[in-house]
Amino acid sequence: MAERNIESVNKVREAVSQDLLGGRIDLLLGWEKGHYWWQSRPLFARSEEDLEKLAWDSFCAVNLSRYLLEELKDHDKIGVLVKGCDARAFNRLLQDNMVKRDQVILYGLPCPGMLDYNRLIEKAGGALLGITEENGRVILNIESGEQEAQRDDLLLDKCKDCRYPDPAVYDQLLFSPQGEKEGPERFKTVEELEEMSAEERFGYWEKELSRCLRCYACRQACPFCSCRECFVEQENPRWQGRAYQPSENFMFHLVRAYHGTGRCIDCGECERSCPVDIPLQELNRKLIKDINELYGDYEAGLDAEQEPPLLTYRPDDPAAFSEK
Amino acid sequence: MPRTGVFICHCGSNIAGTVDIDKTVEASRNFPGVVHADEYRYLCSEMGQDIITKAIKENDLDRVVVGTCSPRMHENTFRKAAAEAGLNPYLLEVANIREHCSWVHKDMEEATPKAIALLRAAAAKAALNEALEAPRLDVEKRALVIGGGIAGIQAALDIAEAGYVVDIVEKDPSIGGRMAQLEKTFPTLDCSACILTPKMVEAAQHPNINLLTYSEVDEVKGFVGQFDVKIKQKARYVDPVKCTGCGICWEKCPSKASSEFEMGLAKRKSIYVPFAQAVPMVPVIDRDSCLYFRKGRCQICEQECPPQAIDYEQQDEIIERRYGAIVVATGFDQLDPTIYGEYGYGQHPDILTGLEFERIFNASGPTGGKVVKLSDGKPPKKVVFIQCIGSRDKARGMNYCSKICCMYTAKQAILLKEKVPDAKSYVFYIDVRTGGKGYEEFQRRAAEEYDVAYMRGQVGKIFPEDDHLVVRGIDSLTNRNIEIKADMVVLAAATVARADAPEVGRLVGINSDSYHFFNEAHPKLKPVETHTAGIFIAGACQAPKDIPETVSQASAAAVKAIGLLSKEKLQGEACTAEVIQSECSGCLNCEAICPYTAITPVEIEERYKDGVLKRTVAEVNPALCQGCGSCAVTCRSGSINLKGFSNDQIMAEVDAICLQR
Repeated sequence: MAERNIESVNKVREAVSQDLLGGRIDLLLGWEKGHYWWQSRPLFARSEEDLEKLAWDSFCAVNLSRYLLEELKDHDKIGVLVKGCDARAFNRLLQDNMVKRDQVILYGLPCPGMLDYNRLIEKAGGALLGITEENGRVILNIESGEQEAQRDDLLLDKCKDCRYPDPAVYDQLLFSPQGEKEGPERFKTVEELEEMSAEERFGYWEKELSRCLRCYACRQACPFCSCRECFVEQENPRWQGRAYQPSENFMFHLVRAYHGTGRCIDCGECERSCPVDIPLQELNRKLIKDINELYGDYEAGLDAEQEPPLLTYRPDDPAAFSEK
Repeated sequence: MPRTGVFICHCGSNIAGTVDIDKTVEASRNFPGVVHADEYRYLCSEMGQDIITKAIKENDLDRVVVGTCSPRMHENTFRKAAAEAGLNPYLLEVANIREHCSWVHKDMEEATPKAIALLRAAAAKAALNEALEAPRLDVEKRALVIGGGIAGIQAALDIAEAGYVVDIVEKDPSIGGRMAQLEKTFPTLDCSACILTPKMVEAAQHPNINLLTYSEVDEVKGFVGQFDVKIKQKARYVDPVKCTGCGICWEKCPSKASSEFEMGLAKRKSIYVPFAQAVPMVPVIDRDSCLYFRKGRCQICEQECPPQAIDYEQQDEIIERRYGAIVVATGFDQLDPTIYGEYGYGQHPDILTGLEFERIFNASGPTGGKVVKLSDGKPPKKVVFIQCIGSRDKARGMNYCSKICCMYTAKQAILLKEKVPDAKSYVFYIDVRTGGKGYEEFQRRAAEEYDVAYMRGQVGKIFPEDDHLVVRGIDSLTNRNIEIKADMVVLAAATVARADAPEVGRLVGINSDSYHFFNEAHPKLKPVETHTAGIFIAGACQAPKDIPETVSQASAAAVKAIGLLSKEKLQGEACTAEVIQSECSGCLNCEAICPYTAITPVEIEERYKDGVLKRTVAEVNPALCQGCGSCAVTCRSGSINLKGFSNDQIMAEVDAICLQR
């Protein structure tokens, strides 16, 4: 990977190193490069040496706020690099009382969207050695030379219809904002699914969910899954059967999706972390769409002060059971 | 393993007619943990209860399942029977095999297995039942009456007479309500004010009654015995302590507004008392029309007031008080008949509603008591009364009967004849309804002695022509078209719920029917109770009713409130929620959802690695919890259990029904 952004990484490092080395924070949650050039994984930086590894490139998809749940047990004050979705995730944790605002310093990173390695190699049509980026274009270094592509065509699914690439909450904004986006196709698949007959739709989900390994990676990546003991692991009562069969897979994914009603911040980490590519975000988006239609537009995670629709009562709330 | 006894009730043929009792008893013997099963014709009878009590002792039962009617009916009866035998009453479980089974099925082949399944579920749940204790709660010895009409006044007087302090909250500047607007009252024709004002004065003077006029209830929290209420006392801009009610201010006030009390037929001043016998005799300034508030000039009232009681700086005040019981007596509105275009209401001054006509009769009304047309000041010689405007009208979704119109129309026709002896009245009616002591006789007098022409039929159109109103209708008995050239038309517009009834209902936490009249807890046996314990209803806010009925209902509501206030302690709810704090993640969504503010955050300490970690979790105050279960279903990790309806118990029921067919 060509260093398109040495400057940006330096800027980020400069901002956080003062705080970390000056003792204002005990830990910085950021990203570092993984084994391959197309991987950026979470970095838990405690020293100057750690900060050397800091990365800020087009593969920093992992939502870092989720790591606060564990790390705050061992640290008093943590710095977190937040993209749009990480910041909404932080607000989610804030609203769920999982963090206190003054325990965390947020370094806001307006996000251009992260790239999807699968799309890159598909575009390359063969071995891909690396990429360089300039002005919304991506240059793929392939064995036979170079190939150019539009950046927007290579984004991760979760980034394609992202409406809020800028952090909704931060202490320091490190780059200039990207601005709010339209995300016109956000509910496209949901609408297609709604068009189906009940049987067709059941068939669709049966097929998709039959692949589920019940590894619970989706849950582990999710900022709204902050229960101390997940319902799937409870013994008494045992809500979730252990059996590896479609009905139990349905139970898990539907209940999990319902637990995110009015809470899911649409970061897409569940779907991105799924090892068998189940389109989990469509379940969440269906519920986001329903909530918007029933209670008016609500974007979870944008404003921690705004009360979530399912925790408030307004006299004009729809009363589906009493209305004919 | 529990030792469970199952008892099945025939309920005469109510259950036994559709459920095979013998088969059900046999099947019950095979449920896990069941050591005894029996049946009886009427388990709720003394004999039936004895059977349960004896069987508990003889068979050493520690769980009881009764297959009977809804627990709403007899759960308490059977809990007491279990307690009689020394068992904690909450170890008894009711399987509702009547409302949930025999009453909704016809076929015994279908109903019997269902009854067995319901009993099996109840037995599975009962096995997990735990002994519970109901907390004993304090009762605030003070009542709140919302609405200062005749219903509210009567209820307050009765409660006050029993020795309890009552606050009446009235949103208008004076108590008195609708009855104060009436001229004479049927069927005895005594003057409304003459019988009402002594009660108003009595309420004002009663040492146990506080009048909070020009006030509205802002918030009701808490529960039976301990309602915490916020009352907004609107600024009068007049100091009630200094004011002597001399009337100079409203005499001198130069600006006017339409009088609500006179149904808009007359003007009142911007500083005003709504009517001459107002209680308290302390005026209010209506900001919307007052010159000083609108333009910053005038202040004549302030300059003229001898005791200097005017205070333009007065602010709305919030009064916070705790009450043991609440009586809702918020009264009714009259339908605005403009929605019925055919009657031309609002387009001609001589087309009036019943309540408006009432004011025309009144000596202090817009015409000074002279019965004259508002158009030209001449007495009306022909008056057409039209019944059921917005009542009994299926087409417009107003199905109910407004109940008072037949009688007040007869009254108004009689009064008209007395005031204008050569006047002739015509009444268009659907049916004449005169249920009530002396009512039929009264209406017959109108028809026979006062020459009132009753015509069964409907009016299709009213329009002005020359100096009169043409009323076109049809006599449905003869099928003849009728045309009357009338001087005046009086529309018996429907009695409807107050416009703000839905909001009041939501505020105090009681529900309404589809017309927004408040619902009683039972149409026959709990006519003044609501589904919310400690809140009672009286008067026309529940349904249209006349004065005698309103007064009796008010006294009934008062008796219920007194009964509650006289209790030393109330038995609280045993089935309250509890938080499993080790599992609680502390998201506190339960706190946001709890309607009784029973949930608060609390900090706990937990071992973590070598040290201690402090974290926030939820805690339920069992005295405040009413066991509604909202928190339990909100909790995603299932860390809240509702005692008596725990997650394990519900799951055991589901399993008992699903796993075995």
